[in-house]
Amino acid sequence: MMSSDTRRSPRLGWSVPQPVLSLWTLAVPLVVVWLFSSAASRLSPAASIDLGYALATLIIVVAMWTFIGNSGVLSFGHIAFVAVGAWTMSLLTISPTVKSSIMPNLAPFLADTTLDPYVALLVAAAVGGLTAIISGFALMRLHGLEAGIATFALLMLVVQILTYWDAIGPRSGQSMTGVPRSFDLQSTLLIALIVIVIAWGYGQSVSARMLRASRESVQAAPASGISITWHRIIAFAVSGALAGVGGAMWAQANRVVQASQFGLDFTFTTIAMLVIGGMLSLWGAVVGTLLISAMNHVMGLLENGVQIGGFIVSLPSGSRLVAVAAFMVFIIIFRPSGITGGREVRWPFLSRDPFSQRRVQRLAQRS
Amino acid sequence: MIPVIQSLIDATSAGAVYALAALGIGLVFGVLRLANFANGEIITGAGYALVLLWPLSWPLALAASVLVAIGLSLLMDLAVFRWMRSQSPAALLIASFGVSILLQRAFEGIFGVNVRSGAVAPALTKSVNVGGLRLSLLAIVAIVLAALLLLAVHLFLTRSRMGLQVQAAAADFREARILGIRSGAVIAVTLGMSGLLAAAVAFVLTAQSGSVNPSFGVQVTVFGLIGAVIGGLNRIGGALVGGFAVGFSLSLFTTWLPAGLGDFRVAFVYLLVIIVLVIVPNGIFAGRTAKERA
Repeated sequence: MMSSDTRRSPRLGWSVPQPVLSLWTLAVPLVVVWLFSSAASRLSPAASIDLGYALATLIIVVAMWTFIGNSGVLSFGHIAFVAVGAWTMSLLTISPTVKSSIMPNLAPFLADTTLDPYVALLVAAAVGGLTAIISGFALMRLHGLEAGIATFALLMLVVQILTYWDAIGPRSGQSMTGVPRSFDLQSTLLIALIVIVIAWGYGQSVSARMLRASRESVQAAPASGISITWHRIIAFAVSGALAGVGGAMWAQANRVVQASQFGLDFTFTTIAMLVIGGMLSLWGAVVGTLLISAMNHVMGLLENGVQIGGFIVSLPSGSRLVAVAAFMVFIIIFRPSGITGGREVRWPFLSRDPFSQRRVQRLAQRS
Repeated sequence: MIPVIQSLIDATSAGAVYALAALGIGLVFGVLRLANFANGEIITGAGYALVLLWPLSWPLALAASVLVAIGLSLLMDLAVFRWMRSQSPAALLIASFGVSILLQRAFEGIFGVNVRSGAVAPALTKSVNVGGLRLSLLAIVAIVLAALLLLAVHLFLTRSRMGLQVQAAAADFREARILGIRSGAVIAVTLGMSGLLAAAVAFVLTAQSGSVNPSFGVQVTVFGLIGAVIGGLNRIGGALVGGFAVGFSLSLFTTWLPAGLGDFRVAFVYLLVIIVLVIVPNGIFAGRTAKERA
């Protein structure tokens, strides 16, 4: 949580205005993502491909943070919005001839339409957001574990519908192939950065602040006149729309979309990234995703076999997920609030005088 | 009339299995606040013991499956969950997700990705006709086994000293400890019971399908967990009824949905779950003790 007062820096002798402190929490994640991407895209062709997935995943995890981080309510259902976004993107960009051959029963308005990828991306966001609003009215009254299970039920419901309803997709869980590659790495990076800006901007809004107040105390917030349900629905909608964008970007990175991809493993991987980074901060979402994505890339190389010295080291396939799972269990046990401790990036030139340090610690203990 | 009774019998036997799974999850949640997703891997472990050892000797297979289930249950607590007792139920659930994935990969490493098959209790696959009704022996065994175990759990919880302590711990763990209940023993007994219930689930499921794979226990656990939540996690009996309801409705939807909608039977179950939770956010049997746990 950011404090609202300005901090005096005795060394420099001037006080840092609040907007600078806030913008710092945006600037650092943006720069880190940009640096990570430029480094990865220069590394090797394989790293560039994995970078496409990493950026799509980053969008998804940031979208999840928008809801989970601000509201403190666990959602196992966000992959539903990702699936809806991926579906929208694929249906609106696959060429009509391919569509008619793999999806003969498609609804006419879907069968004939092909949109510009950027327009399709916006439609994916709209469809994701709309799904979130509609389900939000039902689900946002729930708290704790019940909310987690209900959102999980939403995910399963959406996956079942996408699997079997052949008016909006292929028959019985078959895959949609032929998704065109519409965004190069540059534009994918740009979209990811825009999503971070939107998520951060939402985090600065009055609604998000009220939601965070309700996260700290579910009893006190309503007593202060905050409608928790309403602000949760807003957060859910924003987060659903961003997850829709993430799904669309994932679809075009993967080129093949199938309902069964959007299940427990996907949910687990993304939640693990959020938990490992620290789910209460945007910075945590970014750190967790980049770290696990990098780890996935290295594990992938090791699975294929890497020559180190005179030996060829290779790991059994599937060890990526094991590593993520083990790492996450380790983090939950030893650092429950994640690597970043759930805090945003802090202005580095803050006063180092003991009074301020102690005051910060005391504030942290009280919360 | 006959098809209706037939479908009710089938649904009861399906419901019985899910009720056992949900009860195992509900018991552990009551005492430890742990919604254990990795319960599925306890079932899988017991399933492997049954399928692989049954051809050698069936009493050995039964004993091994129970031992494996209880052992796994205690082991995962020892390795992971005991280190995070003070954390939120949500954090525990996420950690159990991780444990579940780790164990699934371990099974893959030990037994391979492919299905391992073997006839478990082949005598039970026979069915008898009674007045036009097809009664599979396995369905009867499932119902009887569930009823016996439920009765045993109920008697244990209400009649024995240890059972009362478990109940007290489930109601309020901290207060129970202050009143002198040996928490370590209570936790061990609870985990042991959930392991035993998991072994029973594994027995019915392997006898049904005759095969096990690394993700064998996932589906029944998902539905058991959901059942425990809609029944009301604060009441041990609630979990039981919720689990039964999920299995029962799943079976009825399978039988009675019209042809065009048959594919959507699972979707209907999830829709039902959402509707129930919207109407009673803390579960059907949450009662007055339900309170905010966000």
